[in-house]
Amino acid sequence: MRLTVDKTAARRPTARAAGPGRRRRLPVGRCAVVVTVALFAVWTLWPLYWMLSTSLKSGQEATNLNPTLWPHTITGANFGELFSSSLPFWDYFINSVVTSVVAAVVAVFIATLAGYSFSRGGYRLGGASSVAVLATQMLPLVVLIGPLYLLLLKAHLLNTYLGLIIGYTTFAIPFGAWMMKGFFDGIPREIEESARVDGYSRLGILFRVVVPLSVPGLVTTAVFVFMNTWNNLLYPLTLISTNARQTLPPGLLQSFSGTFKTDWGGMMAASLITSLPLIVAFFLVQRSMVRGLTAGALAGT
Amino acid sequence: MRAVLTSVPSRAPRRRRGARARWFDWMTAPALIILAGVVGYPIAEAVIVSFSNYSLEMPVHNFVGGANYRQLYHDPLFWESLRNTVIFTGVSVAVAMLLGLVLALALERLTGPWRFIRGVLLTPWAVPVIVVAFLFEFMFTNPGGITNALLERTGIIGSPIPWLTQPGWAMVAVIIANVWTTAPFFLLIFTAALGGVPTEVTEAARIDRAGTWSMITQIKLPYLRSAALVGALLMIIQNFNSFPLIWAMTQGGPAYGTTTLVIYVYELAFTSFKLGYASAIGIVWLALLVIIASLFIRVLRSRPA
Repeated sequence: MRLTVDKTAARRPTARAAGPGRRRRLPVGRCAVVVTVALFAVWTLWPLYWMLSTSLKSGQEATNLNPTLWPHTITGANFGELFSSSLPFWDYFINSVVTSVVAAVVAVFIATLAGYSFSRGGYRLGGASSVAVLATQMLPLVVLIGPLYLLLLKAHLLNTYLGLIIGYTTFAIPFGAWMMKGFFDGIPREIEESARVDGYSRLGILFRVVVPLSVPGLVTTAVFVFMNTWNNLLYPLTLISTNARQTLPPGLLQSFSGTFKTDWGGMMAASLITSLPLIVAFFLVQRSMVRGLTAGALAGT
Repeated sequence: MRAVLTSVPSRAPRRRRGARARWFDWMTAPALIILAGVVGYPIAEAVIVSFSNYSLEMPVHNFVGGANYRQLYHDPLFWESLRNTVIFTGVSVAVAMLLGLVLALALERLTGPWRFIRGVLLTPWAVPVIVVAFLFEFMFTNPGGITNALLERTGIIGSPIPWLTQPGWAMVAVIIANVWTTAPFFLLIFTAALGGVPTEVTEAARIDRAGTWSMITQIKLPYLRSAALVGALLMIIQNFNSFPLIWAMTQGGPAYGTTTLVIYVYELAFTSFKLGYASAIGIVWLALLVIIASLFIRVLRSRPA
């Protein structure tokens, strides 16, 4: 079973539905669709609006016990404070960017090799090793973290970027390998045959022929790994101990649970800035994302 | 070798594979070696540790047999966190799936420029989980939260709802936040699956004058079956392991009302340092996930898609 997003096929019936044969039933159906979509739009956008609106309010207005629906005085003070106050927001941001980007690049490189191998198979342990890699995604990270903590402690890698990135590979590599397998499965083998005839090695075929054809897949996988590491709270919370090395999620949690507990305006401004990289990345790869997600998952069953 | 290849290029790889079926492919080596270190070793260690009274303060293996597992059986907090995990996961996945399905069916009928709406409705999925937690904590805070303010201003409720301060309502609040971020995942999955419904089938049904409702239930839903199962399985695993949302919103409180297994294991391991007992819970929980996953896969395979 393989899901493909065939936009044209999905559209066609809809286009026909507007034809003369169905005009009788149309208004009710159309209304239901519009109402459903409108309700979902409110449900989706309201929290986002509330985040933006609160981040633009003055401190006093944001903590008003009788909240105002829109900012009566618009101010950028909350954003300015993030980068000027005692809060090491900028450090958190840089740490998040560095660890997430490095983890994404490393994981995608390793996952490309493994995913290609899983996709083309042809060796006896192929099935077993790919299923083993898939199964690791089910393991609760919180159970792994204790032993991993002690391992990194012995290796003197606690509280380092490298240690955190090693932690991230526990979920980034299995996930990436399966996603890349899904993308590679969609590339016809015939293309590789002709490269083989031309005398390319296997590695040469992979990097000079297959990889250039799967750039969307690579980017999508990298963005996914980036999103997952950017979101991760558990690993930095346990593996990083100083504020200067901390990433955004635990950093923000720490910042806004102590003395800043009721600084909702600052909290929403920080939230907005934390969200932007992910939302931008998400919209960049939205089109190829569905395929990557479902292909890997469905092929494995 | 090359001579064989050039003479029959299309069949050559198959023959080569048959002739010397290797056991192993070095291309998987980097991934497997790293995973052996960061996943294989920790999980083996967790199994061993679960039979000892190992603690992060005193990292010595003191074999205690099945004591941790017996303790777990008599631990009311374990059962409560298991119950909370099942409620949190079950309700979140069911509601998010239903919303995703309805939305996918509705959006399928949007045409032309309106299709950008789908992209907009997917946004929550890209919002970092920590931000979702902050956002909903802020909206549900009492007094001063917008949710209660709106509900009171419109007259839907008379007195403010104790979101986040009463165990039952706190669970409702984290589930609402969770549904908000995960419904787009199901929208994506179902949109993809709807695209896979063959046009001939829907055309034939239309010629037979099938109504909208029977078109959905008789024609389209059967095609969405495996997407629904796979999506549900992925989300069940993810929600079982969901840490940041609950930790940031409620820290498992109030009164353990939102303490799921992840939260409980995390607290045992890193606040009480009881790694042995925490690992035992982790192993039981892993066994549960394996059972759920194998049930799903059995259902998935029972009827060829």
